Amino acid sequence: MLKMTHLAKVYRTEVVETYALRDFNIDVKEGEFVAVTGPSGSGKTTFLTIAGLLETFTGGHYHLDGVEVSQLDDNARSRIRNEKIGFIFQAFNLIPDLNVFDNVEVPLRYRGMKAAERKQRIMDALERVGLASRAKHYPAELSGGQQQRVAIARALAGSPRLLLADEPTGNLDTQMARGVMELLEEIHREGATIVMVTHDPELAARAQRNVHVIDGQVVDLAEEPRFHSHAHTAHS
Amino acid sequence: MQIRPILAALRRHKAGTILIALQIALTLAIVCNALFIVHERLDRVRRTTGMNEANVVAVQNLYVGSPGTYLPLMKTDLQALRSMPGVEDAYVTNSFPLRRGGWSTTAQRTADGGKDGVQSALYFGDEHALATLGAKLVAGRNFTSSEIASFTRDQQPAPPQVIVTKALADKMFPDGNALGKTIYYIKGRPSTIIGIVEKLTVPWIDTDFIDNVTIMPLLFDSSYQHFILRTKPGQQDAVFKSVANTLYGVNRMRVLPEKNGVRTFEMVRAAAYDADRGMALLMSIVCGVLLAITAAGIVGLSSFWVGQRRKQIGVRRALGARKSDILSYFMTENFLIALAGVVVGVILALGMNQWMLTQFEMQRLSFTYVLVGVVVLLGLGQAAVFAPALRASRVSPVEATRSV
Repeated sequence: MLKMTHLAKVYRTEVVETYALRDFNIDVKEGEFVAVTGPSGSGKTTFLTIAGLLETFTGGHYHLDGVEVSQLDDNARSRIRNEKIGFIFQAFNLIPDLNVFDNVEVPLRYRGMKAAERKQRIMDALERVGLASRAKHYPAELSGGQQQRVAIARALAGSPRLLLADEPTGNLDTQMARGVMELLEEIHREGATIVMVTHDPELAARAQRNVHVIDGQVVDLAEEPRFHSHAHTAHS
Repeated sequence: MQIRPILAALRRHKAGTILIALQIALTLAIVCNALFIVHERLDRVRRTTGMNEANVVAVQNLYVGSPGTYLPLMKTDLQALRSMPGVEDAYVTNSFPLRRGGWSTTAQRTADGGKDGVQSALYFGDEHALATLGAKLVAGRNFTSSEIASFTRDQQPAPPQVIVTKALADKMFPDGNALGKTIYYIKGRPSTIIGIVEKLTVPWIDTDFIDNVTIMPLLFDSSYQHFILRTKPGQQDAVFKSVANTLYGVNRMRVLPEKNGVRTFEMVRAAAYDADRGMALLMSIVCGVLLAITAAGIVGLSSFWVGQRRKQIGVRRALGARKSDILSYFMTENFLIALAGVVVGVILALGMNQWMLTQFEMQRLSFTYVLVGVVVLLGLGQAAVFAPALRASRVSPVEATRSV
């Protein structure tokens, strides 16, 4: 479903090159629930933005649902984002000027879907996250947890192949976080592929598989972390 | 199209939306009326006089001293002017088209001065008048030298023969057979229409009887006269420069005012319509400034909204909006605001015109101006919003993941 090989992302200025990702390899199978973890600045958000085609990468290969995306133009990338990917952001990213119904409708309109089908999908998605009764409410009138549920409904309404979640519970209190997490697990059980970026080990533990990122590279947690082995070498 | 969500979003930004729509409405109302005034004024400026205006020089002359009668002086001057190299013809008169000063009276069909009179300007002149002015005789004949009489300030001008313009003739005799008919300028003193000229306008530019003119075969025995000269082609400049010297050479007892003493007809026309051209220029500037301010307002508000909605634009891009979708979002949003503005603006424009109609006797605003105004303002809105909208379309989708 999502396969990156030897992927690199370099930010260049006149004087310095910074590797946000370096020789980054990951393979997420269809139907998997993968948590990408790592400390702040490790590159996990960069991974997510590249995985979600929000940003381009500098080197390597990225296949999304069997398509090599590096050569795609902006319009084609927009279409893939719209049709194959559902985003769940830490800050919910609902559009404050639109009510819940209109927020969920945004990606469906960009797909050029007919009004009747849009309405059906929106109500189905809101039903699924338990907020059908709040369709006419504005984001500011909802709690954080409810807003994130609307964001999930927006991500689900387009029936994406892949859900990308960026710290989906980062802005929520424990109880709301639990609710959102349970919803994600339920969605996964129904067959969705989910890649979630988080720095919260407890949350990551609820995923099927964890991928740990340090300094822009995937680290196998089964092995001893590298900085330990360096320390070990220094003492020997 | 995403009109419904755009309208929904605009409802949440009422203040900015209403302000910009009102600005567009006011601009439309003012620009429509201002352009209409410009057009009206330019139409006046382009109005013809019925003269052949090329190669005409007008001299304003004031005899000084008290000779008893000025007729011999006038005749000597005319002789000198007609003998000037470069001069084709000349005559002396009280006034001429576009002079903005002259005589007028009411012409009647009956001797007892009923209430059926028609207002007419009076020009005095001799048998050289028509040729000098270049006015075209369409019926009857010109004056003969034997018909030329004179009158003084104490007398009333009522010659036995007159030449009138077709406009006046048609108003006096709607049946169209004015030639040979009798009309009365002074109660009980008949004048026969011996000739009809196609067109000649009155001295004033603001009358409602602009084409009603009577030419009387008279010399007005007065110190204040206007000599009109028709020069040969290409000789106008030379005559313009030498005519004062020629007149002073004949008789120094006169004043030709330094300003406007000697003028070509182009100068006469320019002076007559100075205020109209000034008004047209002023109104054009007002239109330009208003349109620029409105455009700046739209650019300002759009840029502000784009800046304010960077994150939202990023989110839309992340959710699948193409650059063109973002561009069209902002263009459509502006179009909807501008559309509301022009709807109100059309009502305001017509209302403003109605008010001016009653207050300043303006004409009714032609709907073409409203239509042009609508198109201009909608176009201006789209042009003004294009740069901010283009900037918006370039916001990266990665903006969605950035914390504020």
